[in-house]
Amino acid sequence: MRRLLQARYVVPAVLAGCVGMVGLLGFSPGAAQAVDGPSTTTPVPQLTSPPLPTPIGQPTAPSASSVLTYRSPSNQTGIFYTDLPAAFIAPGQALFASNCSSCHGQDANGATGVAPNLQRLGAGTVDFWVSTGRMPLANAGVQAIRKPPRFNRLQTLEIAAWVQSLTPGVGTKVPLVGTGSADLEAGNTLFTLNCAACHTITGSGDALMGGAYAPGLHLATTTQIVEAIRSGPGNMPRFGPGNITNTQARDIAAYVQGVIQHPSNPGGFALGGIGPVGEGFVGLLLGVGILMLVCFWIGERT
Amino acid sequence: MIDKSLRWIDDRLGIAKGGRTFLDKIFPDHWSFMLGEIALYSFVVLLATGVFLSLYYIPSANEIVYHGSYLPLHGQRVSEAYASSVSLSFDVKSGLLMRQAHHWAADIFLGSIAVHMARVFFTGAFRKPREFNWIVGVSMLILGIVNGFLGYSLPDDLVSGTGIRIAFSIVESIPLVGSYLAFFLFGGNYPGNGVIIPRFYILHILIVPLLIMVLLGAHLGLLVKQKHTQFKGKGKTEHNVVGSPMFPTFMAKTTGFLFMSTAAIFLLGGFAQINPIWQFGQYEPFQISYAVQPDWYMGWLDGAARIMPSWEWVGWGHTIPLEVFLPAVIFPGIIFNILILWPFIESRHTKDLAYHNLLDRPRDRPKRTAAGAAMLMLLGMTFFASSTDVMANFLELPLKSVLWFFRFAVIIAPIIAYFITYKICNEMRAAEGIGKRKRAQVVLRSSTGEYTTVDSEPRPGDGYEELEAIPVPTYIDLVPPELVTGAGVRRVMR
Ligand code: HEC
Ligand code: HEC
Repeated sequence: MRRLLQARYVVPAVLAGCVGMVGLLGFSPGAAQAVDGPSTTTPVPQLTSPPLPTPIGQPTAPSASSVLTYRSPSNQTGIFYTDLPAAFIAPGQALFASNCSSCHGQDANGATGVAPNLQRLGAGTVDFWVSTGRMPLANAGVQAIRKPPRFNRLQTLEIAAWVQSLTPGVGTKVPLVGTGSADLEAGNTLFTLNCAACHTITGSGDALMGGAYAPGLHLATTTQIVEAIRSGPGNMPRFGPGNITNTQARDIAAYVQGVIQHPSNPGGFALGGIGPVGEGFVGLLLGVGILMLVCFWIGERT
Repeated sequence: MIDKSLRWIDDRLGIAKGGRTFLDKIFPDHWSFMLGEIALYSFVVLLATGVFLSLYYIPSANEIVYHGSYLPLHGQRVSEAYASSVSLSFDVKSGLLMRQAHHWAADIFLGSIAVHMARVFFTGAFRKPREFNWIVGVSMLILGIVNGFLGYSLPDDLVSGTGIRIAFSIVESIPLVGSYLAFFLFGGNYPGNGVIIPRFYILHILIVPLLIMVLLGAHLGLLVKQKHTQFKGKGKTEHNVVGSPMFPTFMAKTTGFLFMSTAAIFLLGGFAQINPIWQFGQYEPFQISYAVQPDWYMGWLDGAARIMPSWEWVGWGHTIPLEVFLPAVIFPGIIFNILILWPFIESRHTKDLAYHNLLDRPRDRPKRTAAGAAMLMLLGMTFFASSTDVMANFLELPLKSVLWFFRFAVIIAPIIAYFITYKICNEMRAAEGIGKRKRAQVVLRSSTGEYTTVDSEPRPGDGYEELEAIPVPTYIDLVPPELVTGAGVRRVMR
């Protein structure tokens, strides 16, 4: 017994035992409790965004949020497509002329080989491309990328209003999305069915064939989600009201915002949400690696 | 009193003698001999956590309506297997910890087997008389991979269901018998009539673990019977084993290691999320998510299947989908056959039929080491190819380019690895004095302020100044003729 106690391995043994016990006791209660499904009622998203450096063009008096909330019905759930006020059109034209017309042309009818025709697309489509920062285009890659938007909310809507005014009533309008009392379960099913094939089930995005990729959905606002569904940007298919009704689009948007962007996600660090690739690295490097170091510590090294 | 009862038992069972041999077993102290223990102890954790999980998991494909505490799933129709796995994670106290620890333990189990196997391979510990134990080890690896796949499939979530779907196509791709075999295994055409889950369950919790345990017993039994190998060194010969006895030293050490391994696995289980099935949702045969990969130990198979061009063989009214059959059946078949047969392939090549209890340094066997490196490179490349989509996404490259890169890499990289390793081994062997301990230098300052260095006196009892030279064949193909005279030349009773 004396010899046993003298053995220099007793210290590591006791140490490890303690750590193991702490591991067992410390986490067992937490694991079962740290669970709250995301709340079913998510607040109606704000239509204002933080002020950004003002580009060329004069902001007009009425604020974007006042106009839009004024026009949205009192019942706050569902999707409502708004007509933008006529006062937006003139400043929008100025903004478009100085920021977009070099590629899309003075009348927004595009230029072959440079940029597509924007007429008949509607205000919602323009809003999506500008508010996600895709436009103005920075570099002509395979796919326009999401980046911090150049324009604030009001200026964005002004540009959208002007493009819409070229073909009144045609194309996707700007949606107002109220996700109060949205059906997250339906959203889950619809998302898995329609979106997960490209955006992955955790919404972290993935590469598609032909150099394209489906972006992660962690930054998109509910408005942008509905606009994406209705307008089908780039390689994404367009889902009309026949495929996905307005209620369903609202449920998807609520699911993306409530569950994908704010997952109730017990179990520790999510390791990038990219599945077994990340897990494999952690298991091999951290798990096996640390235990090999332990071998190295308690073993002889000649 | 205790003495008396022990004697009573010994008189009848005669365990004292065996127990003595066991307690006196000598374990070499080198750290790399403990790698296999990681596997042993993660297997213990696997069994313990697995028993816990089996208390709550329901192996049934019956559809029920989910009413657990994970809200987004509320009211959805899911299989009982999926519902019970989600409830296990959310509603059972410490259930999620156990589930995650079980999964991490599986990853670590197979990872440590791979590392342990690499040690055995590169040091030549598989040579006569230990070929059997090598084969037992490879069999456990294969069974471990199979069981990992079976377990991964049990929660019946979207990701694992995709795996089962792929497994079905793989079985189906075997010429002639494929479709019959697949229908037999899955009880009908895919997705089966709900028999897959219960069948996988029985295999996963009973049959395969039992096989592993039997093999594990054989593995350790052979280890005790044949005794450990050891590295060359002062006082270590082919005829002895130098190390610590089982009791008390090794016992203390290995018990400590058991605790450490358990701790590491449970720390990962508590802190690092693995396989969050609640995010994936229930598996439906018509749904698919991108970024679906199997666990890492299946990665090389998945990668091989991904980079395979889509070829097909059509003839005599049959179609053989080569794009599945070659990477998923033939490729692993070849790999595992090479692994199992390696001891015989090598001894055939070297004509070395002697007993070996002393290990090689990898550099002393350039060809074997290079072959091992090439194999690791091949598996590594196919492994990385299983994340082509994740890579394309991270590096913002087109998926096609990544795919083509790997198609070339799996062929070229192993060849390059072979020659580079071969070269490095030869260079290292040629370098003088590697592995020898340097004599300390003494710096003296003279009265005029001048500095000189002289060699120090060798310290008394300075044991291993130079490693004892032991005549061993240096090249895998250059065995000294006196060793080639026939079987059992250097047979020793250790
Ligand atoms: C550097 C040239 C360039 C500038 C400047 C530019 N665009 Fe674009 N735009 C493009 C190109 C090229 C595409 C097609 C991109 C794609 O499909 O990925 C495009 C696409 C679009 C689309 C989507 C068209 C469709 O068919 O879906 C909209 C809407 C759009 N631009 C609006 C704008 C607005 C508004 C501005 C000014 C704020 C702007 N663009 C500035 C080059 C440009
Ligand atoms: C065929 C594959 C595909 C499917 C299916 C698909 N998407 Fe997309 N999605 C894309 C691609 C590609 C883009 C990027 C478009 C671009 O930038 O050119 C995208 C972009 C988006 C964006 C913009 C993200 C951002 O941060 O800028 C949103 C939001 C979005 N998708 C939502 C959805 C929703 C919701 C569904 C299901 C109704 C869906 N998508 C289905 C391919 C797809």
